[in-house]
Amino acid sequence: MIDADHLKTLGDIAIDYGSKKTDAIIARVVQTKNSQLRFSQNNIDISKIWEELKLELFVVIGEKTGTTDRPITSEDDVKKTIDDTVSFTKMLPDSMFFAGLEDKIQSYNKLKKQYDAKIDTFAEQAPELINSVIDKTMSAGAKRVAGALMLKKRYFFFRSSLGPEGSSRGTTFDLNVRALQDELDYSGQGLACGTIPSKSEKNMLEAGVKAGRLSKQAIGAVQGTPGTYDLILSPTVAANVLGSITESANPFYIMMGVSPLKDKMGEQIGPEFITAYEDSLFDGGLNSTPFDWEGSPGRTTRIIDQGILKSLVHNTTTSKMFDTETTGSSQMASLGIGMKMLLPGISNIVFDNGNYSQEELFDVDKPTIYVTCNWYSRTQNAQTGDFSTIPRDAMFLLNKGEMKPIKNMRISDNVLRMFANIDALGNDRTQVYWWEVPTPTVISTMRVRDCKMTAATQ
Amino acid sequence: MKPAVSPQSLSSSKYLDRTVSKVKDGKDLAEYCIEFGEKIGAEYVEARFVNSSVRGLAFRNGAMISGGFTPSSGIGVRVLVDGSMGFASFDRLEKSIAEEAITTASKMAKNSKSKKPIDLGEPIANVAKWKMETKEPLNDVDIDTIMELCTEVNEQMKGLSSFVFIFNGNVIDKYLVTNEGTKIDSQLSYLLMYAIMTAQAKGGSEQKFLDLTLAGGWERIRESHFIENVKDEVKRLKKTTENAVKIEELMAQPIDMIVGPEVAGIIVHENVGHPSEGDRIMGREGAQAGESFWRDLKIGESRVGSDAVNVIEDPTIVKTSGHYEYDDEGVKARKRELIKEGIIHEPLLNREFGTKFGTGSNAAARATDFNREPIIRMANTYFEPGDYSLEELVEDVKLGVYMRSFTEWNIDDRRYQSKYTGSEAYLIKDGEITDTMVKKPVMETTSVGMLSAVDAVSKNLRFDFPGTCGKSDPMQGIPVYAGGGEIRFREIRLGGVG
Repeated sequence: MIDADHLKTLGDIAIDYGSKKTDAIIARVVQTKNSQLRFSQNNIDISKIWEELKLELFVVIGEKTGTTDRPITSEDDVKKTIDDTVSFTKMLPDSMFFAGLEDKIQSYNKLKKQYDAKIDTFAEQAPELINSVIDKTMSAGAKRVAGALMLKKRYFFFRSSLGPEGSSRGTTFDLNVRALQDELDYSGQGLACGTIPSKSEKNMLEAGVKAGRLSKQAIGAVQGTPGTYDLILSPTVAANVLGSITESANPFYIMMGVSPLKDKMGEQIGPEFITAYEDSLFDGGLNSTPFDWEGSPGRTTRIIDQGILKSLVHNTTTSKMFDTETTGSSQMASLGIGMKMLLPGISNIVFDNGNYSQEELFDVDKPTIYVTCNWYSRTQNAQTGDFSTIPRDAMFLLNKGEMKPIKNMRISDNVLRMFANIDALGNDRTQVYWWEVPTPTVISTMRVRDCKMTAATQ
Repeated sequence: MKPAVSPQSLSSSKYLDRTVSKVKDGKDLAEYCIEFGEKIGAEYVEARFVNSSVRGLAFRNGAMISGGFTPSSGIGVRVLVDGSMGFASFDRLEKSIAEEAITTASKMAKNSKSKKPIDLGEPIANVAKWKMETKEPLNDVDIDTIMELCTEVNEQMKGLSSFVFIFNGNVIDKYLVTNEGTKIDSQLSYLLMYAIMTAQAKGGSEQKFLDLTLAGGWERIRESHFIENVKDEVKRLKKTTENAVKIEELMAQPIDMIVGPEVAGIIVHENVGHPSEGDRIMGREGAQAGESFWRDLKIGESRVGSDAVNVIEDPTIVKTSGHYEYDDEGVKARKRELIKEGIIHEPLLNREFGTKFGTGSNAAARATDFNREPIIRMANTYFEPGDYSLEELVEDVKLGVYMRSFTEWNIDDRRYQSKYTGSEAYLIKDGEITDTMVKKPVMETTSVGMLSAVDAVSKNLRFDFPGTCGKSDPMQGIPVYAGGGEIRFREIRLGGVG
């Protein structure tokens, strides 16, 4: 990796050069070194490594705004990037979605547990660990094991021509283990993620054991019967289906017509025991950051307070549009392929932990389905919240004190209705991050009343 | 619309000189990667230099909210070491960085101690140069012309309760080189365009996410009647929102279902294309995109649909998002027959899985960027046209639904249990498509259950489903086309309506 001073030098050049050509400019010089091991059929398929150094820019010229990010190596590259971005921005009409940037210099919190100095050594030894994860998963009952371990290391320097400046470094890991039997129908998933991989080997091995155990428990699964059931959603499923409500508390999504929370501010949308935050300072959060993309300090914002929608996430622009304060949630978000935009966005979604033990959650007096994993969630209409998603891996019917594996069903319901119908919250809060949960979500098992389950008609 | 090329375009600026220089540097460095990979003992080395640029504009309710110009370049290298595969990618075109990344990837591959060595089969040494046909190259189109198009698109969407339009012009230059002798220069060109439309009526709102992607140069806007198509889609969404009603009669008994080319496209992509992918069949996507119900079937023997079902996968069709002449492993593209008269016929394969299946690659390897490994992907997937007209399909349907377009859909990761919810749909009664619009009919079936119910396919082949197909980890979203004619399914029991 390049030393931190060099990144700062490149960032300083960008601001010193760019501020003469713009009304405001923000530059981030970001260096990443990531690696991944992918495995299937009990064997490592491929080892990957990525090395990148990029300059990310946001420029303001009058009422016009422009963005870019591109690889750089030298002072010349930085200046050329700024020249190109300024030329392109001047050709654009005024932006209708810009009302200002953070202009105060403030102190930032020091984050804990965000950097693992041993990550490079860990990455070198990761193949051995993955082979141990495969063995553990097999010992727990799997016949076949697949998955991926991603390790990320990032350092960046940030500076705004309006004053704010800072730097940060972080490491993360995420492991997805899927245990399968010889048959396609019987599978289980285990996940582990965090920021200190060298102290997380135990969690990774446990993810394999969990996947293997679920896969074995799923053996003999029978076709489920469509109908209305209470559902117990594992943290993985709760994060995708119900954690998404918190993510929808975004003024940009509301303005684009893709959030069900329009006109819901101040309303009771969930039970009183549900409180959820946008928390960019969460210890060990995969997306924790001391400051947002504009340099506003990171903070913890109560989005849902005892079931009531209390706040949206904001950056400077949307906070002015909505006559409120920024929540320190400015992000450079992607729009389609290659285009970026400065928007509010959640860093980590964090729910308060619940009180129910596993035994209490599973102590039910009517047919209830336990869903351990899901994928392919799609909405009919993002404003109304009508959607469906497919339980994947082990799923169980709890009835009259028994738990039997079932398969081939679909949750076809409404996300707002399900959120309002949460009736119990587990005490097993955990951080979830994988393909179907791209925003790190800290959440517990949830039990939800009266959900519609459907299945193929032929 | 006025001719697009003008002196104000980016190609006339200093940017072009820098691009040319970067392309040369990148190609030179890609060739050096081959040398270096061989020097450190790799059995197979492949380097792919990708240089691309995207110019994007985004609008909400007709007002511009963002614009950006993002060039990108870098090299992705695959090395096969002791039968294990390593992949390294880097964006700074420097020898020292290339060496460090390739060395690390080789070490990691060696450490992985693969129990099943990868065999890529017979060496491939294709040398070629090809590009997507472009009469008016996208990089020559000035920003005013793009703005003018966007304004015209936004005009068509006026009257909706909200609408978003995103335009991204994307030109990708690639240079693929391997230690087996392959050297392929290529250029891809896409107009990536998306709209999110919301219509409001008394009974509620309806939404439609429209992928409007075109492949080729700026001339594709005119050739494809793009503006007229957007106008038509807006009209249809408004009509659906205002008129669609729940018709209980359709739930009381099995009915006949006729789907239009858009719905045929999503079905053929999800229920046929994905399960035909060789890596899924053999489990490599087990923890990500999933496996495939084809795993337990016999190629050339197992029936998954009626005799009327013939499915083609063809990257050689020009002016489509799935068009290429050589894949990202340097294999010459060809047409593939996935299903022949209801029997599974041929899976999609890259070199690794071509060897495992014993047939060799059929050129299905694609990578979305320099920083992604090439994996098995679809290109253009479609139901082969039949002999019928739409009128002939409809004329002997007593009670049924014509589902012209869809909204919510999903399918399990073995690609067996799928759900398609209709957007624009009409009641068919006594051999005629009526004016009665059906609200959200749901076709929730298994792949075999659905394909076995096909009894006729129309001759009206259209690629009405351009899409971005997601697969793998890290995610690779790749442009594809899918379609068919109208398809008739007999005796379908709906999963819901209204």
